Amino acid sequence: MSNILQELESQISGLKTTTTKSNVGIVREIGDGVARIEGLSDVMLNELIEFPGGLYGLALNLEEGEVGCILLGDEKEIIEGVEVKTTGRLLSVPVGKGLLGRVVDTLGNPVDGKGAITATAHYPVEKVAPGIIKRKSVTQPVQTGIMAIDAMIPVGRGQRELIIGDRATGKTTIAIDTIINQARINKANEGKPGFRPLYSIYVGIGQKNSNIARSLAVLEAAGALPYTIIVSAPASDTATNQYLAPFSGAAMGEWFMDNGMDALIVYDDLSKHAVAYRQVSLLLKRPSGREAYPGDVFYLHSRLLERSARVDEKNGNGSVTALPIIETQAGDVSAYIPTNVISITDGQIYLETDLFYQGIRPAVSVGLSVSRVGSAAQIKAVKQVAGKIKGDLAQFRELAAFAQFGSDLDAKTKSILDRGARIVELFKQVQYNPLATEIMVTTLWSMQNGFMDDVAVDKIKDFQLKLQDFFGTRKDAVLAKIRDKGAIDDDITTDLKAALAEFKSTYR
Amino acid sequence: MKTSKEARKLSKQLFNGSFSDGKLDAAKVSIIAKTVIDKKPRKYVEILKNYQRLIRTEVASRHALIESAAELGGDMRQQLLGTLQSKYGADLTTEFKISPELIGGLRVKIASDVWDGSVRGHLSRLEANLATA
Repeated sequence: MSNILQELESQISGLKTTTTKSNVGIVREIGDGVARIEGLSDVMLNELIEFPGGLYGLALNLEEGEVGCILLGDEKEIIEGVEVKTTGRLLSVPVGKGLLGRVVDTLGNPVDGKGAITATAHYPVEKVAPGIIKRKSVTQPVQTGIMAIDAMIPVGRGQRELIIGDRATGKTTIAIDTIINQARINKANEGKPGFRPLYSIYVGIGQKNSNIARSLAVLEAAGALPYTIIVSAPASDTATNQYLAPFSGAAMGEWFMDNGMDALIVYDDLSKHAVAYRQVSLLLKRPSGREAYPGDVFYLHSRLLERSARVDEKNGNGSVTALPIIETQAGDVSAYIPTNVISITDGQIYLETDLFYQGIRPAVSVGLSVSRVGSAAQIKAVKQVAGKIKGDLAQFRELAAFAQFGSDLDAKTKSILDRGARIVELFKQVQYNPLATEIMVTTLWSMQNGFMDDVAVDKIKDFQLKLQDFFGTRKDAVLAKIRDKGAIDDDITTDLKAALAEFKSTYR
Repeated sequence: MKTSKEARKLSKQLFNGSFSDGKLDAAKVSIIAKTVIDKKPRKYVEILKNYQRLIRTEVASRHALIESAAELGGDMRQQLLGTLQSKYGADLTTEFKISPELIGGLRVKIASDVWDGSVRGHLSRLEANLATA
């Protein structure tokens, strides 16, 4: 007992003598989520500043006599003249597997009413991207489950693939489909040795709350939520929270990368993110440039997207794949923000309004879409059957324009047109219904090997669905072979030929 | 209000001219202010406001606000003054203030630096630590 008393006494005597030094400032101006503070002579860039009442701010502008600071909460209680102090800390968010299946705000606080989050660690929101030594080439695929993308514009783990298009062309749907497909693959392969699950993070920036709720409902219905983190910074949130949300999402993804896991992050969308950053910058009275965006709007997106990488065994052996989304106005890809993000990313999936209304959904424009690194990560079986498709389709589009003027076509042109029309039909796919790779391979193989040449174009979809059904129910062994081998060899070719002959004899 | 570049530059020049032997000269400050008001150069209000801010910051950097929960004795005040002047120079001015909300101990503020040895400060830190634990 006396020991405890002695210890307590020494602690109390220690308390009496210790003093702490802090750096303080006085709020001179506050409003619109921004404060200007006098003092804070020792403040560092991006340092957290503590306001009375538990409110925090982020020091963004260090000027000669003042500090410009953005507020991470409600400023109503703060009045001019109050004292604030530096904390010596950076803004950080909770990370770890505890966030999977949850909806959080920019600061990592749960907003889904499912209780507190158990975080493994806290990661800084702003972090320098991995350097060249830590990086590794992209070699593993991200299966989106969308045939047009997996066949022609493949995405690899660690890649940044932009999804770009006008409003209502299915940009979010492609991202949600990809997330659903990852959950499907994760579930199917759970516990298998050597299998690397891919966890998804969906960051909604400046979206309507109803849109985020709809995406959440779709993910929940598809059973993808347990593998997904949703970071929500809707339109009703402050510009500060919308500006920081993708960085929070990136921090959550980096934890997976650092711990030998793979993550996929969707930024929906970066156009609204740039607008939120423009608002913050203008309120901070930073000089404005083109379209009133600040001079560092390129750096804003480049430093965010550079954080998506694949790192080697010594540095975590994981990856973060990014699918940023950009909304164009009237198909103008040459606007300021779209060109910036196009130049940063490793390719883009361009969605066209015209195609969408022609019923070609997903409305992927083959000519303008490209993946600069994904083909290195494409599964061999897909590469074998889809290698020439992009060229075939491009030829088809070119000839289709000419074919409109004349009726007499030579046999070669006609065959290219017939093949092209069938490919277009095959690539039509309903939303939230990603396809397994082996199903894609069998479908594309049968088309490439002429098994669909005698099927009328308007019957192709019906043929495809019945073929998929046939393989799924009666030829599971062939599908399993393709799945396991990952390539088409002579043995599989023989099986496929036999299966197709059998199917065609029964197809009506 | 955002100060223009021109006003900022001029007020800085006026501020640099307000010193005698490295110390702020009150007489010079009042002459400068009077001259600016009389001559009314372009953007003179902005210039004066920024000049006032610079003077205020400079004065605050040479001024110590010492807060205590109870009245400090003469010896204690002298001791404190001696310590602070040895650290910040002999021209440091001091102001003693009684703040019962500190409960006990002292809180010293010079410019934007604060040394907090008050019981209130300890309790707030304890509260913050418990909240994050």
